[in-house]
Amino acid sequence: MSAAAAGAPRVVGFVCDWAVATAGLTDEAGRLHAHPSVVLIRVPCSGFIRPSWLEDALRAGADGVFVVGCPYGDCLNREGNYLMQERIEQLQRRLQRRKVEPERLTMLAHGLHDREAFLADVAGLLDALGRLRPPAPAAARPAAPARASAEEGGS
Amino acid sequence: MYRRYLTALQRWTLGLDVWINRVYPSDLNPLYYTGGLTNLFLFVLVLSGIFIFFYYVPSLNGAHASVAYLTEQVPYGGLIRGIHRYSADAFIIAALLHLFRNWFTDRYLFARDSPWISGMFLLLFGGFVGVTGYILVWDERALVVFSELVRLMRSIPLVGERFAWVLQAGPGISDETMPRMLLLHVGPASALYVLLWWHYVRLRHPKVWPPATWVLTSLGIVTLLAAVVPAVSGTPAQPGVQPTTMWLDVFYLLPFWLAGYVPPFLIVAGIGLLFVAGFAIPYVNREDPHAMGIRHAGVAQVVDGNCTGCELCYYDCPYNAIVMVPSPYPGATRAAANRKLLAVVIDSRCVECGICIGACPFEALELPAFMESDLQRRVAEAVRA
Repeated sequence: MSAAAAGAPRVVGFVCDWAVATAGLTDEAGRLHAHPSVVLIRVPCSGFIRPSWLEDALRAGADGVFVVGCPYGDCLNREGNYLMQERIEQLQRRLQRRKVEPERLTMLAHGLHDREAFLADVAGLLDALGRLRPPAPAAARPAAPARASAEEGGS
Repeated sequence: MYRRYLTALQRWTLGLDVWINRVYPSDLNPLYYTGGLTNLFLFVLVLSGIFIFFYYVPSLNGAHASVAYLTEQVPYGGLIRGIHRYSADAFIIAALLHLFRNWFTDRYLFARDSPWISGMFLLLFGGFVGVTGYILVWDERALVVFSELVRLMRSIPLVGERFAWVLQAGPGISDETMPRMLLLHVGPASALYVLLWWHYVRLRHPKVWPPATWVLTSLGIVTLLAAVVPAVSGTPAQPGVQPTTMWLDVFYLLPFWLAGYVPPFLIVAGIGLLFVAGFAIPYVNREDPHAMGIRHAGVAQVVDGNCTGCELCYYDCPYNAIVMVPSPYPGATRAAANRKLLAVVIDSRCVECGICIGACPFEALELPAFMESDLQRRVAEAVRA
């Protein structure tokens, strides 16, 4: 992709099926028309996301990840978005100890018909990620993080 | 057809939220707490009702006089009566908002039908409590409501006469009638709490109370209203005497207002049909989830060998669909080898949201239609391009 090659931050977004409607905003692969470096993956509920998947996405080379849930207080499944918000905060603290900036992990909350606000948030997110220094290349990292994360997860 | 209307109504409901959320922070949107507000008003009704109960005299001659004494002589009595009166209105309004909101946003389907069914019972009981509450005041309006209610009951074939007997505690209005009305006011009101247990039993952390801001605002509005527009009684009821003129609350007493124009049996049948349709709502279109545009994730599955019995999914499941049972045998992985408990998903309660998958750090749960490997592959494709 030309935009990604031009240095736009690569971002993976997990979007709850009941949160913002993205029909017409993306191509079949989930790539946003407005920001081709952003790929959306639809999931049944924001609370479905296992925090290790976000970590894995960053390790695989994504510059940032975000999760979109329904507005707080209005989760279709009652508390999925609150749970996800807590999990992302915990993950931010945990990754901060390994010098991963918290800005790389974001929780958004937008209702089904709130796409303007959603797109504005994504644009803001890309701006913030662009200002961060690029992460160390994935290959240059030791193999340790995988084990470290397992130990921390168990403790 | 039904489906199309419902989709449109959902768009309006959620579109309204977008506007409200521009004014309030989204977790203070009052429409997200209609259930909690209903419960708050019920609580206010119980407290003010207990106060009124100390003064109320359930007899034909004493009822109207005791309410007048409470309103005029007892310190703050009129205020508390007004609070009781307006909380009842607010209770019904909040309950109806709660009903329509959950209907239009699809929160009553499949495994979530039991809150809907208990909710219909709550509405039925709550509505009846409201009607007997109007009668207890025992002014002219109460008498009209009472005789219309008896007439509606009598119009039911076969059992109608018996119902009317139960309602009046005898063949006609007698000394037994007012105690019976009080019983029919307080009894079903207490039953609301039994039904509320049913309403909450499948929910983990039910949102029973609205945020403090809305508790205080609601209490303030109801108190102000009670002070500025006091609740008053009409002329005392005199059985046998035709009432002259009176004011009828069309919002609440619509069936009684209609009774002046429509045969009573049609009204009873209409109310009955309304509730039968209400009870049927979760089961309409039930056989055809794909046509409804719902993506079926499949019931969450426990990966037996990986489960460590840590209970994280059990605490996070919003519907109490996961129970922990004593582990019958050790797990396969090192972390699961010494487990004492094993998670089990109760299929009939699972709404297929996947929140337990996010809660599980041991990869011991999965949604059949959203396997972790597929997601990882999509993430890899996304970052490679």
